[in-house]
Parts: sequence; C-alpha cells; structure tokens
Amino acid sequence: MRQSQTAVLERNTTLTGEFATEPYEAAWAGEARWFVQVLDRSTEDAELTLTTQVSPDGLTWCDHDGGVHRTEGELTTWAVREFGQWLRVRGEVTPAGAQVKVRLYLAVKS
Amino acid sequence: MSEARSAPPAESAFRSALLSVDPRLSKFQPLSRILAFDAFDSGTHGWTELLGNYDGRGDLDTVDDHMRDFRPPQLSSCTFFDIGTHGAMTGTYALKLATRPIPGHTATAIRRLTMSGRGLLQIEAYFTYKAEATLGGGPENDRFGDVVWDGNLHPSEAQFGAFTVATDLCGDGGLRYHTVARYLNTDLENRMARQWVYPTVPEPTPREHLEGKVKLGYAADFTAPDPEDWEPFGEPQELCYNEVPTKVNWHYLRWRIDTEARRNVELQVGDRVFDMRDVPVPPYADRYDSLENLLNFYFSVRTHSATRNFLFLDSVVISVDW
Repeated sequence: MRQSQTAVLERNTTLTGEFATEPYEAAWAGEARWFVQVLDRSTEDAELTLTTQVSPDGLTWCDHDGGVHRTEGELTTWAVREFGQWLRVRGEVTPAGAQVKVRLYLAVKS
Repeated sequence: MSEARSAPPAESAFRSALLSVDPRLSKFQPLSRILAFDAFDSGTHGWTELLGNYDGRGDLDTVDDHMRDFRPPQLSSCTFFDIGTHGAMTGTYALKLATRPIPGHTATAIRRLTMSGRGLLQIEAYFTYKAEATLGGGPENDRFGDVVWDGNLHPSEAQFGAFTVATDLCGDGGLRYHTVARYLNTDLENRMARQWVYPTVPEPTPREHLEGKVKLGYAADFTAPDPEDWEPFGEPQELCYNEVPTKVNWHYLRWRIDTEARRNVELQVGDRVFDMRDVPVPPYADRYDSLENLLNFYFSVRTHSATRNFLFLDSVVISVDW
C-alpha cells in the first residue's frame, strides 16, 4: 500500500501582497499536489497567483519548473513531481491592497 | 498509587529476553501491554496536528486564535544545508514538528487513543531538538541570548525555546486533567535555563473561551499562557544539543503516569530520572462531555525567538499495565 499525507499549510489565512508558505519536507514522496481553496476575495478583481518552489535545505529557494498558477473559482489544483526534498509555494495577491482568504493543502504520495 | 502489575517470574524473564533481542524494541522499556509502536520511518502513525474546536458550520474562523496554527507534522530526513541528509536513528525519516519563525509560536503533534483500563501509562521516545540554521548576516549573528560563538557553544542553542510532552486524559464522569512535562531550554528572554517545568493550572479550553472565561492571542502558550503558572521540578539538565544546528543526537525519554491515581510517577531523560510523584496534576473544575476514557498524548515545541524551532521524534512507544 502506498504512503500518503495531506498537510494544511495555510488555514483560513488572509493573503495580501507577496507571500511564501512555510517549508515542508516531503522527500519520501514521489508526487505532490497543491489544492488552493479560495474562501473570500476582498474585491471582485482580487487575483491570487502561485508558483511552486523547491529547495535543497529548506533555507534557499528557487521556482520549480511548473509555471505560474492563477486561482479561479473556489478550488485550484496542480501537480508537482521530481521536487527533491522541500516544497513551498510563493505567491502574490494583486492589485495592491487586495486580500484573498485561502485554505492551502499539500497532498503527497509515495 | 498503583505499582506496576507484574507477571510471574518465568513469564517476565521470557518477555524480557524477547524484548532484549528485538532490535526495534530493545532500546525501550515498555510496560506489559504495548498500545503503540511508532517508528516514523514507516509513516506518521496517527501523530497529527492539534487544532482548536470549531462551530457546527465548519467555520474555521471560530477556532481560537492561539490554537489555529499548530502546523502539520512532517516526515523529515533531517536534511541540513551543510551535510545534506543526516537521517533518523531508525532508518531515514523522523517526525518533525516545526514552528514558524515567530516568537511564541508553537507546533504540535497529537496522538488520540482511549483508555481500556486504569493504571500505569507510559510513553517512551527517542527525540532531538534543533533551531533552524541561520545563513548570512554579520558579526551580530555570532551571538544570541547569553551565548557567544566560541567554537564550541553556538548561538543556535539559545534560539531554541522549549519542548513539551503532555497528556489529555478524561474519564470517571467527565473528570479531565493534563499531565505535563516541559523542557525549558531558554526563558522568554532567551537566556539558557535547561530546566524541567510543569504548569500549576489546567490548559485553557475552547469551551472556556466560548463561555467568556479566557481569550488568548496568536502565539500565546496554549498549555499555560501565564509564565508565572510554571514551576520547576528537579535540577537543571544539560542535554546534547551538540554545538551547531545541524548535528542530531538522539535522546531517550520515558515518562510514566498513573491514570488510576491521576498522578505523575517519573520522567527519565537520558541518564536522569526525575521523581514526579509530588508534581501536582490540576484537574478542570468543570466536567467534560464526549471525552469518556480520553487518552491523548502530545508533543509540542515553542520558539522564544524569531527562529524556527524543530522537535524531531525518531520513534515513540506507548504502553500500559492494564
């Protein structure tokens, strides 16, 4: 049977401007999937974009080669493979001053 | 207070022989019945994030501020910037609790069981504790709290706040209580303390918040928020932080309590055994529903600095004599 784990990395967190999630170790996993659930937007044009980042040590980060993901509707998801040891997402809420409230899940599987 | 219920000598000797030749269990001293053997190289074994209670609509905004961000445990290979993968004591992976880099922030892992009897209850673990490594900066990063880098002592050690092992127990008509042991590595001013402490009050609960009795802010100490409500037990104990934030030395912990007497018994950490029989266990004044025979253990780690703090658990054994 395969191992799996789902972590809630942000829980009803209101995001504004630029941000990054806490580092998460998942070296044991072969695949990962982000789920970003938008709970509220301060304005209709509030936009949240996210990019997967990877790291060799949990301290220094670079973008994973999966591109930028724009949240649409209630739930946005994308998969990540061959990420090495550490995962996080960085993102940005635009325009300036706009807020987006989210739950952010990371589901990993061996 | 109950004594450990003992088996006949021949049976006891046979059991002891079996345990001693089992490389997984011979490093533990379990009571007669093993409820849980959690080697984290094979998964999280039910150790999960603690979260405060929420309303009937699943609105997580109703979770108490100080109990809504205890962070999900991770399966860590103990990998560091300088040497790469350190690995666990048993295999590659350990369970890692990681705080945010916010003073006062706490990370937890809780395991939820129920009691099928009363008597002695014991948790054993192999653990280590670390502050996150700091990269860069100037000479100011060669000192922190009352530690100055001297080639042996490292400021990282003063950036680690405290770790805690505790229970949440309830039964006999809703009588609820916690037993708690905390290693206070530093005080809230980041001065080395290296002292075991216990709280003199029960942990604030979501019901008490709903009843208007208590309201705590984010990063408050959820176990006992007032530093004045903590008292020392035993003499200070120096553990093996091992100088820098990227060396991992595994420590043995064995903590025994008595659920029949609702009392602490003793705590062993490394080569030290602390008699805890006189350490008080304050019960809640009010009775609790829905928790009959509750048997929870949690570990937590709390940073007293703006540095992430980590508690690593290689393995945990929970055993009872009932």
